[in-house]
Amino acid sequence: MKSFARPASAAAVTAVAALTLAACSSSGSPTSSSSSNSPVYFGVSAAETGQYAQYGQQFQEAFTLAADQVNAKGGIDGHPVDLVYEDSQSDPTQSVQVAQQFVGNPKIILVFGDYSSAASIPASPIYTRGKLVQYGFNNSNPAFTLDGSEYQWSTSVTTAATYSWEADYLVKQGIKSVGVTYLNTSDWGIPAFAAFKAEAAKDGLTITDAEAVDPTSDDYKPSLLKAVAGHPQAFVHIGYGPDAAEIVTQLRSIGYNGTFYGGQDVQVFDDTPDAQGSIDGATFLASSPKPAVQAFVKAFEAKYPKAGPVTSFEAGAYDALNVAIAAAEKGGITRAGILKGFQEIKDVPSVVYGTISFNPQTRQVQTPTLTPTILKSDAWVIYNGA
Amino acid sequence: MFDTLIAGLLQGNVYALGAVGISLVFGVMNVVNFAQFSFFSLGAMLAWFFVVRQHLPFWVALALVIVICAALGLIINVSVVRPLAKYLPLAAMLSTYAVSQILDNVSQTAFGAQYREFPQVLSTTNFHVGSMLFGTSDVVMLGITLVLMVVMSLFLKLSKIGQAIRATTQDQEAALQVGIPVGAVQHVAFVIASALGGLAGIFFALYDGIADPTSGLTTGLIAFVAATVGGLGSLVGAVIGGFILGILEAFGIYWFGDASNQIIVFVILLIVLIVRPGGLLGKVPLFSSEPLTGTFLGKGRPFRIPRWVWLAAFAVGAVVIPFAGSDDLLTTGTQVLIYAIIAAGLTITAGQAGVMALGQAGPVAIGAYTSALLTLHLNLSFWAALPIAGIAAAVIASVLASPIWGVKGHYIAIATLGLGVAIFAVIQLIVPLALYDIPVPEWGSTELASPLDYYLIDFVVLVVTLLVIWRIRGSHLGKAIASVGSDEVAALASGVRTRGYKALAFAVSAFFAGIGGSLLAAQYTYIDTTVFTTVMSVLVVTIVIMGGVGLPYGAVVGAIVLIGALQLLRVTDDLRIIVYGLVLILVVRFRPGGILVRNS
Repeated sequence: MKSFARPASAAAVTAVAALTLAACSSSGSPTSSSSSNSPVYFGVSAAETGQYAQYGQQFQEAFTLAADQVNAKGGIDGHPVDLVYEDSQSDPTQSVQVAQQFVGNPKIILVFGDYSSAASIPASPIYTRGKLVQYGFNNSNPAFTLDGSEYQWSTSVTTAATYSWEADYLVKQGIKSVGVTYLNTSDWGIPAFAAFKAEAAKDGLTITDAEAVDPTSDDYKPSLLKAVAGHPQAFVHIGYGPDAAEIVTQLRSIGYNGTFYGGQDVQVFDDTPDAQGSIDGATFLASSPKPAVQAFVKAFEAKYPKAGPVTSFEAGAYDALNVAIAAAEKGGITRAGILKGFQEIKDVPSVVYGTISFNPQTRQVQTPTLTPTILKSDAWVIYNGA
Repeated sequence: MFDTLIAGLLQGNVYALGAVGISLVFGVMNVVNFAQFSFFSLGAMLAWFFVVRQHLPFWVALALVIVICAALGLIINVSVVRPLAKYLPLAAMLSTYAVSQILDNVSQTAFGAQYREFPQVLSTTNFHVGSMLFGTSDVVMLGITLVLMVVMSLFLKLSKIGQAIRATTQDQEAALQVGIPVGAVQHVAFVIASALGGLAGIFFALYDGIADPTSGLTTGLIAFVAATVGGLGSLVGAVIGGFILGILEAFGIYWFGDASNQIIVFVILLIVLIVRPGGLLGKVPLFSSEPLTGTFLGKGRPFRIPRWVWLAAFAVGAVVIPFAGSDDLLTTGTQVLIYAIIAAGLTITAGQAGVMALGQAGPVAIGAYTSALLTLHLNLSFWAALPIAGIAAAVIASVLASPIWGVKGHYIAIATLGLGVAIFAVIQLIVPLALYDIPVPEWGSTELASPLDYYLIDFVVLVVTLLVIWRIRGSHLGKAIASVGSDEVAALASGVRTRGYKALAFAVSAFFAGIGGSLLAAQYTYIDTTVFTTVMSVLVVTIVIMGGVGLPYGAVVGAIVLIGALQLLRVTDDLRIIVYGLVLILVVRFRPGGILVRNS
């Protein structure tokens, strides 16, 4: 009796647990009530823990601000807006599961996320099959929408647009040769560099050397020594804020003094001493005098006095919620309705672009514009070329 | 050239400091201390906190970091590591991994998950050699390393505690017998190592300019290789290994690009292990002292599983869950099943052949990419791609691993870890872009891509896997492999070609890993190299150890607990990772041979 009591009970417990889980999950969520004040639920698939958790935090702050503002005005036709967060760690193996969960929950009419294209794209087939709009507002890899279905939408400026602009801008500034480092990632850095290289070739901009770097390395000096060996006039880094901060610091420590084109509006880069003087193309600028931007920045700082500077991550998320609300108001607070809304909305007010209209073929922002900005005294300001 | 040399020396210095701690702990406890890696980033974050947030002077912050890391190290060793190291070094290693997860998460919860600009408390650019700038901080770091080397060498040679440490490193049992307080010695070593880890982390952050809350594992693994190159257990070797690795890495990156970084490190490791198996200054380990191998066969009897349990489990898995389960449960189930397949395959290498292969995510990636490329570009059907992926993984992983089997003792396990990392790097070189729109399985003209479809496909593959493994274990081949694992010397003496059988066992494990990879690729429909990580390798190893390293069905139970638990624990969000680590420690502590194995 004793010899199989333990494993038998283990198996029994497992079976009961499985059945219980099955019962719990399938009996799950109540169907949306038809009461006129029932909340409208949006799902958020993002990193709450893990290496991208900071971005998840920034998104949440912006979403909450936008939701509070809308709810103060009565929500969507009287229905308050509410957000349901699931932690994917921006890991494709988990974002797939999160997608399944959201699709199976009939209350959710749209999902924001994920932070990275690598986490968003694998989940797309699930959202498509579940007929649930997947709003990858932060996904700058154009393949997310181009290789996706009618359910994939994005308001992020794409890497192709950003880095073609960069090549053109460098030539306008009179730069003839650049050294380049770019993140060696298949979902972002490599295609971004490909776009830059193609445009540089068209413009006659010489790339003296381009080094692919691993985003998890912290020491880039050997790669940098090679990248500047050809004495380029300026230096371009195609990557994110934290690695840009390391790169620009190490670039100066190997004695290279040409202008650094790169960086990102995140605290770690903005506060780095060697990063001052860096130039980058921006869509959102917290110091912009436009009234909509100022109102947003002031409201954000009032609500979150301890948070870092207001960056394009917060602005993008803020815009995203407002776009989703506009779509819901236009097409209806159901999954089918919100899809229709996305296909029809135009000129939604945006703190990043002024207004947002979608290109119906690409499901991306119609004509995003970029402004050159320079980092001065830990903050990015518009740069006029001087 | 000269600039690159300087860069290599500066970075090598950081590795040297980290490697000393790793070597120290391994020498006295035969445990690879993953928690050490967390101290790298914890040290940096603590220093940032004290200097930037609390406005303390740097030297005070430095002292505080050392004290805190030392204290934490002591707590960890007393409560978790040492009790397990006595029973099973492998279990202790696993627990240090769980601790590192907890530490990382606590640090991120306490300090926020953002990278922090590290204050330039010591100048980093006030000197120059050629055009290469370096500064006071680098000089101080070098000074500390040299002083440390001298002090530690004298300490080990002349002081009583030092001699006790050397005695314990040489032979733990003998040291115990002559009355050396081995327990206290191990605590001292762990405390010193932890403090050094924190210190290394600070200088690392100074050198980079950034405090990175996630940098522990990457730097830690390279420091680990440095310690191995120098010879695990030798402190001078660790320092030399650190510098050598830093210089070679710098030149390698300069010539071949940063993408080859991991490959270079692995190749260095292999060359040293083949040419000088104990590392530069370490001892060549004997057959019988293999702390990282799965020689568990004497460590506990597995429970007998009666027939009806198999039937019940089959019924639940094949009927109850598919019919009663929600889509969410089914998707979790597919993850559980795929990991179970990979882990069950690993039991042949880890349990039977006695080699703890720490890099299974490598063959998984090979299988996934092979399957994806075949279905995407050659329009092969999924059903054909599946077995081919397995075979490709078996062949390629075996070819790459062939130099390893001549390496002695526990270094084989270390080499497989490096192999896993090198495989990712090679794949990234060959297929740099991600693979999209991977075709889903089809039956006739119907797409089989719903959660239920995937679940059933994975379930069938798992059942077949378990049957095949069961047959292998019972066959002549299986018995030969098992003989290698249970007593390698006796097997050799009986004429069994141990090297060949280890390689064969690894190939079989790689086959099933490749099958798992193919299933993953078909399910995600998108893969790039970031999907396959060292974390996945460690997760597979954890599953296998939890279930009992020689039990394929144990792998299934391990997968249910660890992957199912992750899904269940999704509820507790922030605390999820911490709870996961704690659960792991508890299971390993109270059922260290695996939950389906009786404590011996």
